[in-house]
Amino acid sequence: MIPLYDFNLQHLRENLLFITLVVFFTSSVYSQIHCGLVEIEPNTSINSLLTFDSFQRYQGGYTINSVARIRVKVENKSTPDPLCSWSLRMIVDNNSVSGTPINEWEELYLYGLGNGSNPTIDALEIRVRNECNTSPIDGVFTNFNNDQDIIDIIAPLLAVTPAGSCTLNVNGPGSYQINYSEFNFTIDIKVKPNFTFNPGLFELNVKFVLEENP
Amino acid sequence: MKKLTLLLSNIILLGVGISKAQLIDEKDVTITMDLQPVLQLDMTTSDQIEFVFDDINDYYAGITRYAATILKVSSTVSWDLYAVGRSNGGNGPEFWDQQIDYGNNNANAIPDLPLSLLELRQTQPNTGDGAAVGTFSDYSQALSDVNTPSAGNSLYVNAGTNTPPSTNDKYIAGHAGTTGVAGDDFMPGGSYMTQNTVNSNYYYTIDYRILPGLPAIFPMAADADGATFEDIETVNGAGSYAEPGVYTMYVQYILLEDQ
Repeated sequence: MIPLYDFNLQHLRENLLFITLVVFFTSSVYSQIHCGLVEIEPNTSINSLLTFDSFQRYQGGYTINSVARIRVKVENKSTPDPLCSWSLRMIVDNNSVSGTPINEWEELYLYGLGNGSNPTIDALEIRVRNECNTSPIDGVFTNFNNDQDIIDIIAPLLAVTPAGSCTLNVNGPGSYQINYSEFNFTIDIKVKPNFTFNPGLFELNVKFVLEENP
Repeated sequence: MKKLTLLLSNIILLGVGISKAQLIDEKDVTITMDLQPVLQLDMTTSDQIEFVFDDINDYYAGITRYAATILKVSSTVSWDLYAVGRSNGGNGPEFWDQQIDYGNNNANAIPDLPLSLLELRQTQPNTGDGAAVGTFSDYSQALSDVNTPSAGNSLYVNAGTNTPPSTNDKYIAGHAGTTGVAGDDFMPGGSYMTQNTVNSNYYYTIDYRILPGLPAIFPMAADADGATFEDIETVNGAGSYAEPGVYTMYVQYILLEDQ
């Protein structure tokens, strides 16, 4: 009979081998890897400050074209896999873990009495565009409503549309260096605050996630 | 040897497992919004509005300066607007400053003229006064007949300070309180520039009237709550009248975030 805690070296080896095999098969079943490289260039963070300091600015809103450029580079493996494809999504984050209501901008500082409401997330509008109009939301300002809301630029799990086709939902391997019109996404933002919002300093983060399709 | 074989096979298998991780990359765009409060009151008026009473009819009928002041509001926050009568306090915090007196200083000639003798009339009624509890919530009522004293247009005064009026007093727009209920005690943000109707909640013309009466007791002078008259005779006794002379005061218009 083998004791429950057997520190015998032979049994330890057998146990280790068993665990390793379990890990191997588990990872093999749940990770279907098809691409060799998935990359946004450059992937450094961007900070953009919108200052509303006149009535005209409030009335007209604030638009920044090309606040960011998302340049996609996806390479196939050395032995090409026909299933290599990718998705690109936007996720909004208002740091709700610190207590921010899920539909509002994170409050950094309040001016005045604060009797109104803080700006809501839907005050931010985002537009994505590239020359081939590859995204279904290309050229249209869209908005989030709540923290962690997701907007697909190129949705996941779509059938592979090869690079160079300059059509909707191009998601095959390629690079902004070769197929700039399909793999470069220009991001525009627009904010038009409501007159009932509290004056103050507020922040919102939009995360762009490039991911290979499983 | 067996140990080494086991170790190598583990490393290889672990490496295969890691290389199977799904490829992903991220980029963050952080947007900071600086909403600076804008409360802008554009006022068109002459530097001095003079009322010269040198004719007996002027005493009887008073002098009215129509649309002597135009107030235009632009605000990005909920707001209140009120007027308050003030002076330098030479005759007391709630009285006009007497610059010079005429006559022989008769004992019944009173130099302390209440600031509330000045009457205002706003063209556009206050649409943000639902929570007001006083007799008069604004200055929109017509200037009353000479023979019917009324406190409806007497200027708000508060001991020579610019303290905001209470729920009993008069505002031009909005009122005391922060219920957040539209129409009760605030005017929503906006601007006279975006209005496209004849009447605008962001545009007011103000008429001024001074009615001395005969004898000159200023019968329309009244306390801020509109319930107590402050005319010369009521305050100083029968037979009193305003001392002839030159008097000055000023009206302060205050636009502030709803409170």
